[in-house]
Amino acid sequence: MFPFAFRNLLSRPLRSALALCGLTVAIAGMVGLFSVAEGIQDTVQSTFGKMPGLVIIQPGAPIPLFSRLPADWDAELRSVEGVHVVHPEVWARAHLVEGKAAISPPRFLFGSDLERADQLLFSIYREKIVAGRYLTAEDRTTLHCVISKGIAEEHQCTVGDTLKVDGKLLEIVGIYDTKSLFLDVAIIIDIALAREMGKVGTDTVCNFYVEPQAAVRYADIADRINALLANRGPGAWQPTLDQALDLAGDNPALKSLAPLAKAALAAGGESKPPQTSPGEAPIEVRSPEDWSDQVQQFTADLDLFLAIMTTIGITIAFVGIVNTMLMSVSERIIEFGILKANGWSSGNVLTLIGCESALLGLGGGVLGAFVGWVATHAVNARFPTRIHLYASPKLLVASLLFSCVLGMLAGLYPALRAARMAPMEAIRRG
Amino acid sequence: MADASTANPPCINVSNVVKTYRRGVDEVRALRGLTCQIPQGRLSFIVGPSGSGKSSLLYLLGGLDRPDSGDISVFGRPLTEFTHRERDEFRRREVGFIFQNFNLLGNLSAVDNVLVPFLPQGISADLRRQAVELLTQVGLAKRLDHRPNQLSGGEQQRVAIARALLKRPLLVLGDEPTGELDSTSGAEIYRHLRQLRDQHGSTIVVVTHDRSHIEPGDFVLTIRDGTLKTD
Repeated sequence: MFPFAFRNLLSRPLRSALALCGLTVAIAGMVGLFSVAEGIQDTVQSTFGKMPGLVIIQPGAPIPLFSRLPADWDAELRSVEGVHVVHPEVWARAHLVEGKAAISPPRFLFGSDLERADQLLFSIYREKIVAGRYLTAEDRTTLHCVISKGIAEEHQCTVGDTLKVDGKLLEIVGIYDTKSLFLDVAIIIDIALAREMGKVGTDTVCNFYVEPQAAVRYADIADRINALLANRGPGAWQPTLDQALDLAGDNPALKSLAPLAKAALAAGGESKPPQTSPGEAPIEVRSPEDWSDQVQQFTADLDLFLAIMTTIGITIAFVGIVNTMLMSVSERIIEFGILKANGWSSGNVLTLIGCESALLGLGGGVLGAFVGWVATHAVNARFPTRIHLYASPKLLVASLLFSCVLGMLAGLYPALRAARMAPMEAIRRG
Repeated sequence: MADASTANPPCINVSNVVKTYRRGVDEVRALRGLTCQIPQGRLSFIVGPSGSGKSSLLYLLGGLDRPDSGDISVFGRPLTEFTHRERDEFRRREVGFIFQNFNLLGNLSAVDNVLVPFLPQGISADLRRQAVELLTQVGLAKRLDHRPNQLSGGEQQRVAIARALLKRPLLVLGDEPTGELDSTSGAEIYRHLRQLRDQHGSTIVVVTHDRSHIEPGDFVLTIRDGTLKTD
């Protein structure tokens, strides 16, 4: 039946091509949309898979940029059994790079404790240096920086050049290329300089990166750290009013509120910071897998949005195929009458139209998946530092199967109409 | 011309059949209580003026349509009591149709058109060989792979005859099979039909208003205004 159905489709090339186009566009759109979410997951997995350590961060902070922890926990963390190196880190937004607002893609100042960084057995940025060198303890208190290949290309600078970031002229000593959209946004500088530029207090870090000793399980270290810091109130390291005002920088509006805030605090006394529940640690210890889980929560919401968008596209394609098949059936009423007069049963006619629809679905699926796959690669090639789309084999196969099912469903109603028609009625109407 | 009751036993019995069509708001009474018998193994003609109900009777005999009332039995089986599925089966196994405008499928070759009734079941090499043989018998051995638009009207009708006969049906029904052909091609078609009737033993019923092809020994049924006309 399939060869006959195929010949029928070929005998109406324009109609078949239009139906195929409608389906191809819908399936390509589906692949394209879902490749956004898959791209994020792929980036996360490839990024955090490269970082073998644990990240200690403020609970609920999505990324280190939004986290604040007391710097003096450093010594306690280093004493935990199984810990090899504790690397304090400070992250801040770089607002202006070479006088241009760094919005998309964003740029971040990554303050590294360079003495500790030297002790790390593995540092993703250090491993991925492609020009110059990585920062060492010798670079402390200097304006030296290491930037990504993407940043270097964007601003057409290289090792030995300077890069003006938020008013500071940083000297580029190295260029790295991790090929991860999440990691290649960092301008790596000394932690003290990051604190100064990011207006982060000297007693504060954003997170600690903990490198375990060899053969020590993440879970064991996480348990020990949680036990160590259990029952610590978060208020202890939260910024005081003066520190907060200092963080506000030169914002005149916030400065003008300072006397009022101080008077209110003097009258009512400082409010007590909320305390953590007994046994609960005021930190979150994240392994590479935890990062993936967290991003998957985010991409689940994104998937929902993309599913809605895809449903709209698919519905349009579905109606298009139904219309095409209905038109095709209407045109071929006499043909179905002839087939029935020659002994074809209603089921045979149903099967024939079902096969034609399924072939359209298969063709649309193959073409759509291919076009979607090519499009994701084209977009990635065009915007290598801004977006990463990924059409996984699973997504491509799912799109193909979905297209076949869609084609068959869309052909069902026209097929039923044709099959129910009495042969004499079909011949007369024809 | 002969009487159905004397030369051959009847294979088709039509009893008091009524068929009415709706054409827009109008009601067309095609058959008005028609009763007749058609003999087995003969070439039978149903003749009469346009709109007399000839084609309506033919399609009822082939199970393409159902009467409003009355009974039809074919080879002793009550066609009017058949279910939908049984009528499909009846058409598939026992009836071959030949239409006035050939009704071949334009995207198939001559041999594939002959094989159309068997496409759902799959085409065996033996069946294909039989189709080629039939086309050869009707003089189309060199036209096997030609599409309908590459064949003349007479050739197309010969393909349609081969298609109707491939299943070796007990009953072949033709609706004005030479209506679209010139007289030479028409005569050629009837020559083939008679030859195939003799070879296969099929009962052939043809609707026509052209009496020139009727020969002595053929059975003729004349219909006028939906009823049998007795001369």
